[in-house]
Amino acid sequence: MNHYVPDFETDEDYLLPDSSSLKRHKKSTMGDDDIMELLWQNGQVVMHNQNQRSVTNKKPETTSSREIRSGNIEDETTPCNLFMQEDEMVSWLHYPTDDNNLDMYLHNNDIIYQGLPSSSASVIIPATSSQPPPPPEAVAVAVPSPRPPIPPSKRVEEEPVQPKFANFLHFSRPNKLNVAGGSGSGNGSGSAPGTVKATPAVTQSTVVESNDRPANEPPQSRASRVTDSNALVSGANVGFRGSLMSSFGAAGASSGGREPETYDLSASSSPGTGGSGASASVEPQKPPTVTEDRKRKGVDIDDTECYSEDAEFEYHNAKKQKHGSTSAKRTRAAEVHNLSERRRRDRINEKMKALQELIPRCNKSDKASMLDEAIEYLKQLQMQVQMMSMGYNMVPMMFPGVQRYMPAMAPMGMGMGMEHVGMNRPMVPYPPVLPGSAMPNHAAAAAHLGQRFPVPRFQMAQMPMMGPTSSQTANPQDPMMNPFPMQNGNQPRGPFADPYQQYIGLPQTHMLQPQNQTGMPAATSKPSSSKDVRNPEHHPTS
Amino acid sequence: MSSRRSRGTTRITDEQIAELVSKLQQLLPELRNHRSNKASASKVLQETCNYVRSLHKEVDDLSDRLSRLLSTIDDDSPQASIIRSLIN
Repeated sequence: MNHYVPDFETDEDYLLPDSSSLKRHKKSTMGDDDIMELLWQNGQVVMHNQNQRSVTNKKPETTSSREIRSGNIEDETTPCNLFMQEDEMVSWLHYPTDDNNLDMYLHNNDIIYQGLPSSSASVIIPATSSQPPPPPEAVAVAVPSPRPPIPPSKRVEEEPVQPKFANFLHFSRPNKLNVAGGSGSGNGSGSAPGTVKATPAVTQSTVVESNDRPANEPPQSRASRVTDSNALVSGANVGFRGSLMSSFGAAGASSGGREPETYDLSASSSPGTGGSGASASVEPQKPPTVTEDRKRKGVDIDDTECYSEDAEFEYHNAKKQKHGSTSAKRTRAAEVHNLSERRRRDRINEKMKALQELIPRCNKSDKASMLDEAIEYLKQLQMQVQMMSMGYNMVPMMFPGVQRYMPAMAPMGMGMGMEHVGMNRPMVPYPPVLPGSAMPNHAAAAAHLGQRFPVPRFQMAQMPMMGPTSSQTANPQDPMMNPFPMQNGNQPRGPFADPYQQYIGLPQTHMLQPQNQTGMPAATSKPSSSKDVRNPEHHPTS
Repeated sequence: MSSRRSRGTTRITDEQIAELVSKLQQLLPELRNHRSNKASASKVLQETCNYVRSLHKEVDDLSDRLSRLLSTIDDDSPQASIIRSLIN
């Protein structure tokens, strides 16, 4: 981790080509994997994980973007980025943090952050799937002036710091703020419902991202959350958060304590044009659509979990009613919503990671492709297990002692599709009984499926079923299955590998088709294409 | 799955994820109920992990048995070759 220092310097250079004199960077190690560097440039804190240096400061604007990245894979999987207004950083500067606070802050919040693509000139606050970062913290940061830097307490419930956020937006730059502000101020008090209504399944990330969203409250609540999780970098934030957190109390969702603050702040936020908006606008750059997608589309299945926490919402709502402020209530509900949503997302991401570890050679960091691979792998595993168990059961039957099955199986020529598969074993020199009706070889099928995952090549065809009775209809049945159906005499064509077909999928069908026997008798007389080599020798009927 | 790039970030719609999760759910023996839409993503993922682990165990177990079986039969027999093919 210390080796990063030299790199850091280079980054510094490229990060702030035009940086002002104020340049200070801190390096702190977060957790085991991340090394966060705090870089103060031009009065703004730019922090980036040492692994992701490049992300910071895409734009050589006056302020550098501040990115907090956790090293986890969630960067890609959950592209929820929370962007903090640059303004926020300005305000943070007022409260330089000492290393202690910062480290504490960072350590506390490292899991909260997700790597985010650098946003130009904006602070990215990745609050997505990471554990529910206390939103209020972020907000706290936003409101710098009144609060002295305090070491950040870990996660404050998301309850609302929004109003504070609004205040802090005052300091923010107009350009960014306006965007948010417009939306924020517009909704001001009434925004809360917006988000909540939008989608119950709104994920935290979405809220944060949607800076333009008219619904304030989510932005407010999210902003606070986001900022909490992300912001932390600056000392001011830390301090602010600390104060907020303390004010909000440790009680997770203690709405009571917060509400008054919230309400007060909201009142002030309204006038503060866009203060809240700005807060919400944590990511001005994030396309609102993304978040909206998340919100709207919100995986339906997630809703169930979401709703399971209705009780919690109701509780909060009840509290809000005490104060008789609809907007506050809605805001609170939205916050709670966001909180639960975030928790849900975290759970899911955890499981995705676990699944990723189970899948061999899975190098995808992308959620969708990873799920794709998981599905494929699961199918292959199922097929493999099925084949193995069948083989295990059938092999004992293959012994010569089992006379009555032998003839029946004879037709199962070894040639069965063997040629189709790159077999790694020499073919057993048995007469290829199957005249032309090479049955879709399981091995082949397996081979196809096993391209990625090793699947045992079935050399079933080689089963010693061949017997002199090659004339029998070469029923291209899976040798393993033969014994049973054969008892009826003529080998019933049987659904060849029906159980397999459903797994084999289409690609193999082409193999099956041509192999289908036209007719038993006809088949026998016709030397199978693949078995020609042996036919003349062994095929008595040919 | 197609993912659209937006602002440099990969954009995976929730629909895609939901679709994949439902596909996965269909493969799981426990969740393949008629009301297949009721499982949450978290549950599906959890079940998948468990199922994969159990399949792994089963494969290992079958491999053991097959190899034991292999030792009991004549190596030249076709059965042996079959068994060997089954054992990865």
